[in-house]
Amino acid sequence: MPTCTDIAKATKKKREIKLVGIDMYIITEKGIPKFDDIGPFKCEFISNRGTKVWPGFVSPDLLMVNWYRCRFMATKDVQDADVNTFLDALTKKGWWWSASQKLWNYDGEAGFSKAY
Amino acid sequence: MGTQHVVTMLPGEGTGPEICEAVRLVIDASGVNIKWEYEEIGLDCLEKHGTLLPDKTVQAIARNKIALKGPTTTPIGTGHKSANVTLRKVFDLYANVRPAKLIPVLKRPWDKIDILNFRENTEDCYAAIEHMVSDEVAQCLKVITWPGSYRIAEFAFKWAKAAGRKKIYCVHKANIMKMTDGLFLDAFREVAKKYPDIESGDIIVDNCCMQLVRNPAQFDCLVLPNLYGDILTDLCAGLVGGLGFAPGANVGDNCAIFEAVHGSAPKYAGLKKVNPSAVLVSGIMMLRWMKEEAAADRIQKAMFAVLDERKHVTYDVGGTATTDEYAQAIVDKMHAKA
Repeated sequence: MPTCTDIAKATKKKREIKLVGIDMYIITEKGIPKFDDIGPFKCEFISNRGTKVWPGFVSPDLLMVNWYRCRFMATKDVQDADVNTFLDALTKKGWWWSASQKLWNYDGEAGFSKAY
Repeated sequence: MGTQHVVTMLPGEGTGPEICEAVRLVIDASGVNIKWEYEEIGLDCLEKHGTLLPDKTVQAIARNKIALKGPTTTPIGTGHKSANVTLRKVFDLYANVRPAKLIPVLKRPWDKIDILNFRENTEDCYAAIEHMVSDEVAQCLKVITWPGSYRIAEFAFKWAKAAGRKKIYCVHKANIMKMTDGLFLDAFREVAKKYPDIESGDIIVDNCCMQLVRNPAQFDCLVLPNLYGDILTDLCAGLVGGLGFAPGANVGDNCAIFEAVHGSAPKYAGLKKVNPSAVLVSGIMMLRWMKEEAAADRIQKAMFAVLDERKHVTYDVGGTATTDEYAQAIVDKMHAKA
């Protein structure tokens, strides 16, 4: 008799996973970061406390903290090794970061949310 | 007529436009001098303009600094973002003020409920940072910041003091989420020290839910992080008559948007049968914000009288009146009292 856990595990479906970008969590006291392209990665947007602060309009009244989520999207096919190179380059440029999160598409659908 | 106010009206979608017309009829009849500027928001806008919140709407709200909003639709699990959350983010409307007060004529099992909820409105699990971190694991970042927590506590204590309130409790789950909810609670305690005349304390969110349904009269003001606030404010609305009578205000340092907290009920759109009371009581709240106390009192008194008579009320409270007939009955009652 299968347990509920066994039944749940059996429902796992195989999905095609493709690396398409990186979310970087940058700590800085110097305001909204600015980035040139780093290898095959281009900065798409930056959010602070979940609100998009670049590009486009940002209210001068908006409360911002020193922690920015910076989304970099790949401009061509990339591998995990490209992420390692990217992180190394970012650190060498002097950016202090708390975490990174690889962004994957699952069967062609984004497995990550957009900012408000 | 007194000072003219310019208010942005956001009718929203579904039943929103017919509700907002009924509410406008009542507010205009109250004697207050309002110039309404209509702007679009929501799903219809997305289809027409490719955005939930067009620049023209943003500019109008930024200019007028005050808006009354009907309901909008947010799909579950997929699809476009929430128009409500977008508004809160764009204007940094960090305080969601949700009073829960018994309406005398709606019979409820309690003698007294008068709770002021202050929900932090911009961070927590609503920071829109979600990832599928593997093909079988999803995560959502719960973002709690010191300044975000401090300012909602400061806002709540200031409002409570001005309103003559006596007691504020911080609702949290800091016994489990020691970093995030712990930070929220620390900021609350820091602010509380500046207001020694107001009794302050804290309560774990699950206990708070249980206490609210057993003995809601014990609560005066609650300060909550975003997610608990979302849930508990609806719980409080349920205690006093449901979302159909629940007002809400989203307030920032330079702008305030008043809105019903219920959905847009698209299946009833155009039927003119829904109860507009939630937007109307939000409008009353807006009038008090604008220091138009007399107009607010007139509408409230007439609305309670119409509800008490039960002759011209909508189906959800046992009547057969249309949205417009209910609104007109309130207008007639105001004029009769004049």
